[in-house]
Amino acid sequence: MSRTTIPRSVDVLVIGTGFAGLGTAARLKREGTHSFLVLERADDVGGTWRDNTYPGAACDVPSHLYSFSFRPNPDWSRLFARQPEIHRYLRDTAREEGLLPHIRFGAEVRDARWDPAEGRWTVTTTRGVFTGRFLVTGAGHLSDHRLPDIPGIGDFGGPVFHSARWDHGTGLEGKRVAVVGSGASAVQIVPEVADSASQVTVFQRSAPYVVPRADRAYTETEQRVFRRDPEAVPAHRAEIFWYLEAGFAARRAAPHQLAEAKAAARAHLERQIADPALRQALTPDHELGCKRVLISDTYYPALTRDHVTLEPSALARVEPGKAIAASGAAHAVDVIVLCTGFETTEPPYARLVHDADGRSLADHWARGMEAFASTTVAGFPNLFLVNGPHTGLGHNSIVHVIEAQIDYLLGALAWSRAQGDRTVEVSAAAQERYAADLDRQARGTVWDGERCRSWYVDPRSKRVTLIWPDFADAFRHRNGTFDPAPYAATAG
Amino acid sequence: MTTPTDARTTEGSATVDGIRVRYLDSGEPDPGGEGDRPPLVLVHGTGGSIEREYGYLFPMLAARQRVVALDFAQPVPADGRLTLDQLERQVAAVCESVLPGRRVTLVGYSLGAVVATALAAHRPGLAVNLVAVAGWAATDTQQRLRGGVWRRLREDRSPALASYTAFCALGGPFLAAATLEQLAPLLEGQVPGDFDDLQMELNQSIDITALLPEVRATTLVIGCTHDQMVPVRHSKALFAAIPDARYTEVASGHAVLFERPAQLVQLIDRFNARPSAQPAGRVIPEARV
Ligand SMILES: Cc1cc2nc3c(=O)[nH]c(=O)nc-3n(C[C@H](O)[C@H](O)[C@H](O)COP(=O)(O)OP(=O)(O)OC[C@H]3O[C@@H](n4cnc5c(N)ncnc54)[C@H](O)[C@@H]3O)c2cc1C
Repeated sequence: MSRTTIPRSVDVLVIGTGFAGLGTAARLKREGTHSFLVLERADDVGGTWRDNTYPGAACDVPSHLYSFSFRPNPDWSRLFARQPEIHRYLRDTAREEGLLPHIRFGAEVRDARWDPAEGRWTVTTTRGVFTGRFLVTGAGHLSDHRLPDIPGIGDFGGPVFHSARWDHGTGLEGKRVAVVGSGASAVQIVPEVADSASQVTVFQRSAPYVVPRADRAYTETEQRVFRRDPEAVPAHRAEIFWYLEAGFAARRAAPHQLAEAKAAARAHLERQIADPALRQALTPDHELGCKRVLISDTYYPALTRDHVTLEPSALARVEPGKAIAASGAAHAVDVIVLCTGFETTEPPYARLVHDADGRSLADHWARGMEAFASTTVAGFPNLFLVNGPHTGLGHNSIVHVIEAQIDYLLGALAWSRAQGDRTVEVSAAAQERYAADLDRQARGTVWDGERCRSWYVDPRSKRVTLIWPDFADAFRHRNGTFDPAPYAATAG
Repeated sequence: MTTPTDARTTEGSATVDGIRVRYLDSGEPDPGGEGDRPPLVLVHGTGGSIEREYGYLFPMLAARQRVVALDFAQPVPADGRLTLDQLERQVAAVCESVLPGRRVTLVGYSLGAVVATALAAHRPGLAVNLVAVAGWAATDTQQRLRGGVWRRLREDRSPALASYTAFCALGGPFLAAATLEQLAPLLEGQVPGDFDDLQMELNQSIDITALLPEVRATTLVIGCTHDQMVPVRHSKALFAAIPDARYTEVASGHAVLFERPAQLVQLIDRFNARPSAQPAGRVIPEARV
């Protein structure tokens, strides 16, 4: 099929080519739906794994689980594959599933509107207008990097870049580098940068919990078994999945499991950091799990190197050639690397998607993101959000959640077709009940209320809007199968 | 190990046959859209305790329903024998003392599954539902062979006893991913006491085959695929003989509470929410992830 044979008006429009968008497209194709287009603002597939090319970038959920169940990859080189390998996996997925003819690169979605007269979505992009009966957003919630508004940063006079937009043209050899942040990206970056830079200063606003990584390469024998025994990959996946799944008890704040998890992190810190002052500075002040628990065997040792300094406060302002911490300490640096995370509680796509009256998702979500089954929104017919509100996991693979959402939306599409192309719109009451239920479910977890301020929690309403506050498999059980009941009341 | 409780959980004891049986009671969960679920009563296996076996399940299940768990107590005077009957009376006594007049979902693991199944047969008014995890109906040669080795090591005060038990309890796939250092705490193990000996002896002579057709409870039988202590055929036998039973498997060894606690929580939670969601006689495939 050549590119020109797919019209601009299709059955399904998908935004994004990360795990969410490619997974949706691959399953549509496998189920025999060929009338779809995937709109991607960049010039390649991969989402997170195309953009995060920083040194040390790797997944922190084992690759055999952090990949599609319907595309097992016997060749994963290690437990935690690095970015190039994950990116390759997603590119292979796009090519081998026959998705490339369906993808429109360089098509940044600027606006999406439901047209009630036509019963279609009109989507305006930088490559023109497309329409689809269904719209699936896979725009990611960690895809728009956050650039903090730091006074003076414009006058710094040297390279400044975000971890998700790594400037590979700037060599760090012999340079003095400021790494701003101590989250998931910084923990991977610091050990790598410390190997080449002459000096590294890490600005840490809040110390993360760090636990052992236990990475290892797969042997060739293991890979051969994975290739020849069709049951081997699913069995290995299941072992990893249920091992990680047990970690939800600590997030649920079950006292013994939470204490055990903290003890493991504490023991790791004490094993790797001897200096009492540094240990103190690296002791987290928040509850474990409130922010992502990080895995690394190399972060703490890097901080003990002579040319690496931990600045235990935030970056407050910048002067030419200097990064000045909230503590007042001034550090002379040549390069600033921002590991400051992503827009999350207010995802940018929410401002682009509008209902029939022109109100955006962001308007609907003034009190925080909300969707029935974490996927559909009242007032937004035929719209499906993949990896949107109430999907994030602190303890397991997001791909499990994404696949459950894809099952759900495929069920909805099939139902709609069987009902004579009926519109799929969830009732507001069902959405409210669902949200209230999740609020209740989040109570007593480590994300709950006053003790947690993290990107999982909406600062406006203090609601836990990003996290799925239950077991990962409970997501699939509850939200993985389309049930028309909450949709039946709305007119078709 | 600390007690798996939060502030709401209370500890108490029920008296039966002149002895006190310790229990924990989570109390009712926060009200919410969970409907009326029967309370769960958790019954541990040979040589177990609430903390050793239900440290994970107790708090996690308590989020959505009331959970009560008990520690078996050694009968006095110990006349050198322990009977199934005595253990059944202990479970019944805790139910009557903590949940008077309530019908419950009995959850038993290993020997606890045998006790719970027998009690369900004898007291249909007490047990509305039953979950039998790695249970069995009649001790067979493989179990006697293992019991014999265990007894011999025990009599010799062999330091290999704990390793032998771990070797039998843990599943192959679990061990494939574990290191000996990670297992070290298990391999130290405590020296068994008199009461453990009595329970091991009871293990060797179980036969509740005749009771199974009498079980009226809506039942979920959970077998462990890689179980070397109570091989999975035993769970299939329970499934086959209990009239209103459905069956599923977990790909673990006998130590399922240790290897796959999160999977077990979800299986029990879903079953207790809608016990008859799957019809009697159904083999429910293990969830693919
Ligand atoms: C460094 C890093 C490591 C991570 N490691 C893990 C891990 O180990 N385990 C885990 O579970 N999660 C991890 N995550 C979270 C990760 O974001 C998700 O696992 C997953 O990759 C998200 O996939 P997605 O398809 O939803 O979004 P993305 O991968 O972000 O893809 C979104 C796509 O949509 C496109 N897009 C966005 N807006 C528009 C628009 N307006 N128009 C057109 N296209 C648009 C983007 O260009 C992008 O290609 C990590 C995240 C980061 C940043």
